[in-house]
Amino acid sequence: MNRITGLFFGVFFLFGISWLGLVAYPYLTFAGLRQSKDDATGALAPMGNPGTATQGARVYAANGCFYCHSQYIRDKDEGNDIDRKWGTRRTVARDYMFDQQVFLGTSRLGADLTNVGVRQTDPQWFYRLLYNPHTMSHEVSMPAYRWLFETREIQGQSSVDAVKVQGALAPPPGYEVVPTSEGKALVEYLLSLKKNYPLPEAPEATE
Amino acid sequence: MHTPTAWWTLPGVASLSFGRAYPAFLNCYVYGWASCAGFGAGIWLLSRLTRVPLGSPLFLILAAVVWNIGMMTGVLSILGGATTGRELLEFPIETAFILFLGLTTISLWAITTIWNRKPAAMYVSQWYLLGAFLWFAWMYATANIALGTAPGAAQPAINWWYVGSLVDLWLTPIGLATAYYLIPKIVGRPIYSYRLALMGFWGLALFGGWTGLTHVIGGPLPAWMVTASILAKVLMLIPVLATGVNFHLTMKGSFGGLRDNLALRFIVTGAVIYTVNSFVGSIISTRSIAQFTQFTFVTVIHSQLGLFGFYSMIAFGAFYYIVPRLLNRRWLFDQLMETHFWLVVVGLGLLLVDFTIGGLIQGFGLEDPQIPMIAVNDLLEPFLAIQNFGALLLVVANLGFAIAFILILLISAPAKERPVAIEQSNEASESTEAEVSVA
Repeated sequence: MNRITGLFFGVFFLFGISWLGLVAYPYLTFAGLRQSKDDATGALAPMGNPGTATQGARVYAANGCFYCHSQYIRDKDEGNDIDRKWGTRRTVARDYMFDQQVFLGTSRLGADLTNVGVRQTDPQWFYRLLYNPHTMSHEVSMPAYRWLFETREIQGQSSVDAVKVQGALAPPPGYEVVPTSEGKALVEYLLSLKKNYPLPEAPEATE
Repeated sequence: MHTPTAWWTLPGVASLSFGRAYPAFLNCYVYGWASCAGFGAGIWLLSRLTRVPLGSPLFLILAAVVWNIGMMTGVLSILGGATTGRELLEFPIETAFILFLGLTTISLWAITTIWNRKPAAMYVSQWYLLGAFLWFAWMYATANIALGTAPGAAQPAINWWYVGSLVDLWLTPIGLATAYYLIPKIVGRPIYSYRLALMGFWGLALFGGWTGLTHVIGGPLPAWMVTASILAKVLMLIPVLATGVNFHLTMKGSFGGLRDNLALRFIVTGAVIYTVNSFVGSIISTRSIAQFTQFTFVTVIHSQLGLFGFYSMIAFGAFYYIVPRLLNRRWLFDQLMETHFWLVVVGLGLLLVDFTIGGLIQGFGLEDPQIPMIAVNDLLEPFLAIQNFGALLLVVANLGFAIAFILILLISAPAKERPVAIEQSNEASESTEAEVSVA
């Protein structure tokens, strides 16, 4: 009998406990989450996202947005996210049940985006920010994402999505800057970030 | 790295933008340097401790080649935008599979080698190595497979379980195994206490898998999960102290050796940083403090200190000790290695002070709703400038190390007297060669 059997067993067993608790348990229980139904109105929450938003989540991942932006709201006793007006209640597991991919994030060099679709409803705002963040505010430390746009000749009417660019970056006359399909999907995704429906397990914070 | 708008980051080039260069850097760092150095040191340690000659080096060489192919494709995928979007698991599943092949080959070799060992008793380092090779294969496989289909909120739980385990149950045991072997070897005295070593090992095995969720305190997970993580992070101080005290008492009376022996100096510095950094980790993981630190540079420097200050320092020490014995050659230019050490110490020290103060300002700013986000980031400007300088020092230090390594590989003449046993595991030098390219 080789004396390493006990070591083997211990090594497997101890790590196995954490595996059961933090991998197997959430995997199985969160798969069983259901929408909440409002008693008065019968409205279901949360609702799933449109398909383009799911594509946009891929663009969000590819460009590493989540290395600077978080997507969760802490409860009042764990942080001041609610005072900062990033949300009106904490986020809970059910909020993320339809998300193909969850980007909680660990850094807040940028603002929290849990409810960015509530704060900003105009796609043009996002296009301008992504094309040239410095037009929004000079000090902003966000880099530009110009590869999500293309400059093309105006065909008849100018596009509704055309970004209003002034100054040195302005396109030559007769041309316009429009988001690519990736750019559009990303903004669609950002606009869909709204966790402002009521959930019984996360009541609105009161003063 | 944290000034994404600077001119030298080539704004406008998608593949070099911050959101892609940063994960590429992190993955090179963890899987390209730290893990490869760990494989190399682990293989050498096991060969020495088990007294089993490396029968067929072909397997291990193949594993090293496979691993590096995986690394290359993985990093290129990230730069091209094909990422999974999960921290430290960014490599696409195909790439992860290639890496896993390389990893299991080495793990299987490690287990069979330990099984066939000549001395029946197992030395402390072997416990750690056996654990590390098993845990790494296990966590890497489960995390990659489970995350493909995991429902919403289970993803962060699994992701951070993986990251916590990667640090505490892969890199940490490799670093400690190296220190447990080399410190007594260099000072010429057995390890102080067998009981303390036992306590340190089993404590690490028990708590190591739980620590990761301290990254998402206040996140959308059941409270007990996060609480368990915080508790594990605090209780982790027991094995950390046991190990630290054990090292200290083994070193006692031999601290003079730090001046003359560079390998020992690197390893002891790494071990001291391990103890101190674990204390910091426990403190910033408690709820009341995490409120101010969790989204800031404070957590960044905590992981950097673990990766560079603890792990890489020990890995450098291991290189300085092992390579001359493998190649039967001497390091050229002692001054170069001396400079390497001091550049790392000064660079890391600068980053520590800078990140800590900057991070605290950032944290208190973020927690005050009266201060707008942009104003918070404005306060960080001077800290970011110093940070670039500190990082530059580390780059120069690493270049010095790379040059020293290239010199010993290519130029240094064989030593006249054979230093100490070189008989075994000469073949492992093949796999060490591939490592330095990313160092």
